[in-house]
Amino acid sequence: MATSSIDGRQLKRRFRAGVDRLSQHVELINQLNVFPVPDGDTGINMFHTLRRAYEEIAEDDSEDAGVIADRFAHGALMGARGNSGTILSQLLKGFADGLQAPTLRPSLLRRACQAAVKQAYSSLSKPTEGTMLTVAREAAESLGHEASGAASLKQMLEGMTAAALASLENTPNLLPILKEAGVVDAGGMGLVCFMQGMLGGQSALPAARLESARELRGEAAGGSYGYDVQFLMIGEDLDIARARRDLEALGWSVIVAGDRRAIKVHIHVNNPALPLDYALKTGAALDDIVVENMDIQYQRGLARRQNEAAPANSDSPATSVIAVVEGDGMRAVFRDLNCDTIIDGGAGRNPSTEDFLVAIKQLPSHQVVILPNDRNIVLAAQQAADLIEGRLTRVLPTESVLQGISAMLAYGDASDANADLEATIEQMSAARAATISIEVTRASRMASFRGLQIRRNDYIALVDGELCSASADIESAVLGAFSELDLQKIELATIYFGADLAEADAAELVERLKASSVELEFEIIFGGQTLYPYLISVE
Amino acid sequence: MTSSRIRIAADSVCDLPADIAGRFNIHVIPTYVNIGRESIPDDGVSLDRERFYRELPYMEAQPTTAAPSPGDAAAFYESILDDGVDHIVSIHVPEKLSGTLNAMRLGAEAVGGDRVTLVDSQQLTFGIGLQVWAAAELAAQGLGLETILDAIERVRRKTSVYAIIDTMEYLRRSGRVNALTASIGSLLKIKPIVSVHDGEVSSISRQRTWARAEQRLRTLTLAQSPLERLALLHTANLAGAKKFLDSIRDSAPSDTLFIETTPTLGAHVGPGSIGVATLNADWRR
Repeated sequence: MATSSIDGRQLKRRFRAGVDRLSQHVELINQLNVFPVPDGDTGINMFHTLRRAYEEIAEDDSEDAGVIADRFAHGALMGARGNSGTILSQLLKGFADGLQAPTLRPSLLRRACQAAVKQAYSSLSKPTEGTMLTVAREAAESLGHEASGAASLKQMLEGMTAAALASLENTPNLLPILKEAGVVDAGGMGLVCFMQGMLGGQSALPAARLESARELRGEAAGGSYGYDVQFLMIGEDLDIARARRDLEALGWSVIVAGDRRAIKVHIHVNNPALPLDYALKTGAALDDIVVENMDIQYQRGLARRQNEAAPANSDSPATSVIAVVEGDGMRAVFRDLNCDTIIDGGAGRNPSTEDFLVAIKQLPSHQVVILPNDRNIVLAAQQAADLIEGRLTRVLPTESVLQGISAMLAYGDASDANADLEATIEQMSAARAATISIEVTRASRMASFRGLQIRRNDYIALVDGELCSASADIESAVLGAFSELDLQKIELATIYFGADLAEADAAELVERLKASSVELEFEIIFGGQTLYPYLISVE
Repeated sequence: MTSSRIRIAADSVCDLPADIAGRFNIHVIPTYVNIGRESIPDDGVSLDRERFYRELPYMEAQPTTAAPSPGDAAAFYESILDDGVDHIVSIHVPEKLSGTLNAMRLGAEAVGGDRVTLVDSQQLTFGIGLQVWAAAELAAQGLGLETILDAIERVRRKTSVYAIIDTMEYLRRSGRVNALTASIGSLLKIKPIVSVHDGEVSSISRQRTWARAEQRLRTLTLAQSPLERLALLHTANLAGAKKFLDSIRDSAPSDTLFIETTPTLGAHVGPGSIGVATLNADWRR
């Protein structure tokens, strides 16, 4: 079939094929994460974004390609999650704005792609090359600058997709961090998947070069969220490390917490029978089994969001704060510090632009401050702040929950009714920078970083986001991080212990720090966060 | 009225040093601190402040505090009026925080209320003391009631009282200022900076370390320059107060006072805190 133009129905089919191809590679894209920090969620974020985009046109039979592109872009804007999802939504928005015609023709493709790239670059204050932005730009540039009668739309699409793939292969040469980790850019990979799907046919993806690439888990999700399975394993001498390792092979978003006699399991799978069957075979008794169909949950969530929002009210407090927080203890800390709205989320579970919009609309105040508390959530929050009308919304780009707590403490400084929003933000921002964060987690894969040899599952400690130490022993990893600090200037270390640890573990850590002449005041707080056994703020 | 004799009265929460009170004939009625089954008047004799703060952390139950009784108040006013005084200006701890003003009102009514003018200072500790001191200076010059009340108002507007609360434990247990403790939070150890304004205590900064809190207190204090009067307040932390003064030495008046805050407040605040009471020189304009 010679393709000379694409109408609305054809564009819809191509979008669908793009979403499908991306959905098949979600795990692979997740694992391209540069840092061996287990927050690799680029794939899932892009997938959620595109899935929400497609919902917008699923029932739409419009023949007008412009209309389809517009609605698809709107859905992406609403569903944007994580930085990658947000940039993707900007590309789609630019594409739709540049198209504005009932059929896609060669000259229009060029115009729309140029507009897409322009839109995405201008949405970022500091665009970074070697990312999905570069892939999009070089793909668009391959279309040339003038209409060439010779090239059919099909040839153009093929050429563009090939250019995107070549650009993706080149990302490690532009971004040293990728080269060091031996991977291509994850967001770029997602974009290539989407474009290849839209092109149709079989195309190869670049070799991921993952040193510890795991097998893709189970069947391709095929655009499904799968099932959320939770249960309690009860026994006498359970092997939690083994259970965690085995269960990780069965699904995604795996959380395994507990001790020798009881293990709480949370896992997302396509087949809910698998983890239950596995758990029974270990000899454990099962209790508190909950299986939820996440597709149905998602639909219910969508319906709920149609609810009326609270209008801004002149009697209400001038400013409210929304924070994204993960972990029961951490949420309690934010509530205690008078945070108005807490969105459950964090690394691996990034809220969408729409989630932020819903939260903002439910607040009665005129001014809103958002604390994303994660590098990957900042853009989606910013997009919501840009879209909201009738309220002054500012995003304070906190990169970790610890920075968020510092900002919340400073919020008390300026929370009187007359405080000017900019002054409040400034004070919160200064406080955020005044605290040192130590984040302790496990390496999600083997890596070599700044001369450190890291094995998968080693404990790694990041000081203000910089990888500082690694060890098979968690306490040694923490001690390594403290050895980097100038203790003369420090009074207090606050240790937030995660869901997998007990207070006694944190107390032991403090003893060991004291024994290594770290003479500070220590405070131990239950954080309940996953992925990070310890989050430590030092000031 | 200009030729009449006016005396200034206050309660012991005003934290006015005894020598200043003596010099200006200021009459101070003690409030009470209840420790165990004893009710001890804060009269500068019965209650040793140093010893109180030393023992405070080890007391079985947190001490409570009490206003003077209306009978105490009546006797207090009667003794002043017997001294050939025409009128009393009586300046007190805020009604929002204490029953003292109410007791004083009942006492004044018992001796014929028209000879006593009651003033809600809207302040605490030396924030009250600054109003009392200024009023007494004018009274000693033989100035009239209107002038004195106007001066009290102007001093109040140019007075700031800030304190670093070293531990929230005592405020939380005392229950006297629940809105304050709720606004600060309870899960993390916080050293708040509190301010007294309009008869209420509010948190204006939540810091986690002493060094940061001190830095903030310094900024707040210097913002009140030029300082006509300054008192360094503390609860069993004279060393901390002296160290803080060193850091603002250039802006501090030469007659800066050190005041160990009354146990009537200290019972709620606990030991280890420091603070300032400032009077901006512009109050005279």
